Amino acid sequence: MFASLAAAMLLTLAPQRQTDTTIAVPAGASLSVNNFGGGITVHGWNENRVKVHGETGRRGRVEVSMVGSTVLVKTGSREGAPSVIDLDITVPASMPLTLNGTYADITVDGVTGPISAETVNGEIDVRGGKGNITLHSIQGGVTLADASGRIEVNSVNEDVELSNVSGEIKVETTNGEVTLTGIKSSSVDAGTINGDVLYEGTVTDGGSYSFGSHNGDITVSVQEGANVTITAATANGDIDASFPLPLTGSTGKHRKTFKIGSGSARMELESFQGDINLRRPQELRDRIDRKHKAHDQNDNENDNDGDTAFQFHFDFTNVATYAARYAKAYAPKYAKDYARAYRNAYRKYGPDSTSH
Amino acid sequence: MTDIWTNRLSEYLDGELDRTAQAALEAHLATCGHCSATLGELRQVVARAKALPDTPPATDLWAGIRAGMTPERAVVTARRFSFSVPQLLAASVALMLLSGGGAWLAVHSGQTVTPQPVPTFGNRPGPRPQFLPVDARTNAAIADLQSALAQNESRLDTATVRIVRENLALIDRAIADARVALQQDPSSAYLNLHLADTMRRKMDLLRRVNDLATARL
Repeated sequence: MFASLAAAMLLTLAPQRQTDTTIAVPAGASLSVNNFGGGITVHGWNENRVKVHGETGRRGRVEVSMVGSTVLVKTGSREGAPSVIDLDITVPASMPLTLNGTYADITVDGVTGPISAETVNGEIDVRGGKGNITLHSIQGGVTLADASGRIEVNSVNEDVELSNVSGEIKVETTNGEVTLTGIKSSSVDAGTINGDVLYEGTVTDGGSYSFGSHNGDITVSVQEGANVTITAATANGDIDASFPLPLTGSTGKHRKTFKIGSGSARMELESFQGDINLRRPQELRDRIDRKHKAHDQNDNENDNDGDTAFQFHFDFTNVATYAARYAKAYAPKYAKDYARAYRNAYRKYGPDSTSH
Repeated sequence: MTDIWTNRLSEYLDGELDRTAQAALEAHLATCGHCSATLGELRQVVARAKALPDTPPATDLWAGIRAGMTPERAVVTARRFSFSVPQLLAASVALMLLSGGGAWLAVHSGQTVTPQPVPTFGNRPGPRPQFLPVDARTNAAIADLQSALAQNESRLDTATVRIVRENLALIDRAIADARVALQQDPSSAYLNLHLADTMRRKMDLLRRVNDLATARL
């Protein structure tokens, strides 16, 4: 059966608004998805089949093919501009994933294999994954949880968040915060230009840790009993620790070196404009909990406020432009909500819809 | 502040001191915070160099680097050169930035990248520059990438172009901040590395967006 599947197979799904197809895959098969606009959602399950569900609108189409041992999923439009299509794909949990979008949110959960996900204007939210994991977005935030391996995550204009992640970690954004919690790693490199950096995780003997920002504060946890040499540098900020920090050297007026225990791990903390804060892990966990509670409270208030209903004036030209413009102008705090609401509204009432 | 051991730290790091000198230097390190901190910075330079993307520089670029070496220095193989801290910083910065930018242009333009000799300094007598002029060449490499982006950005939607420009402006402000601070404190290892890292980020962003745009050909 797999031999026939290995031959190039093209299934062009019927032109209805919802499409489904399921194909059996051999062990070791991988998935490659390319969706211009909409969403790519991938779930893992314990079956050797790939199930593709697409919501295509009137003009959109989904093509599923298998070349070699790779399942290819591509979207397109039968006429005119590219369509907004939501893909919901279920795969064997350990299947390696390559997911590409342009105006697409990417969501993954319940998987245990390598993941490569890239989008231009969309959020990436991944729960799970093992091995090489690379997540890149230009205009969307990126979150990764419960993953391990060689991790590379970056955004340009949004925040990056990792939680319960282990392995070799490299994280970067330009205009956003970097938040790393529950990290178990001996190699972490995280930086941003305009935003705070927070690290709550282990400091392992012999490990290497580097955290940098130009305009933000750096806050890191160091557990009791850690053995680490910390080099902290700031041009215009302060260095503060909630525990004794033995100074062992300084270079110029900007850089100071501290040694805790044997000092076998190395940690670089650099912020040009911001402060550098060293805390115990529990202090940071408490701070994160307070932040989450405040966020939840804001969400509830927002949900209960009838005046906050989103209102938009459409000219159906560019989803990204409008989402960014409204969010920035009226509610930077709720930028993601606005972007999501606009996108949903566009799908419902946009030119590709029959519902208006 | 420097002492007689400062310029031997790179030899120490390379394991090239004899036992007596090594023991003496280690004894010195135990009491000298400055040398200890400087050694830490050298280790960071090495670590950062190792962390560079595993992309070999274009052949043309290597030819340029080799051409920048004098024959006298090129034939010395018995021992490594000793570098002062600013030299090491600047050399690593130059290699990091020029190899990255040059490689991108070589791959994407289909044209030969004009080789730019990277400053290299041997262990010869005479005054050593305290701060190397990497800025001009780095700026040229960045200008090349920006020029490429100006040609390619029409393939991207206006919102993406606007976001990219805003972020490039953000990075430019950070670069300007670092340069102003460096005028006050030109020998600061932190400021030199911060400037280099920020410029590297700008090149990374330019390369990434160029890649994005050219992928839409």
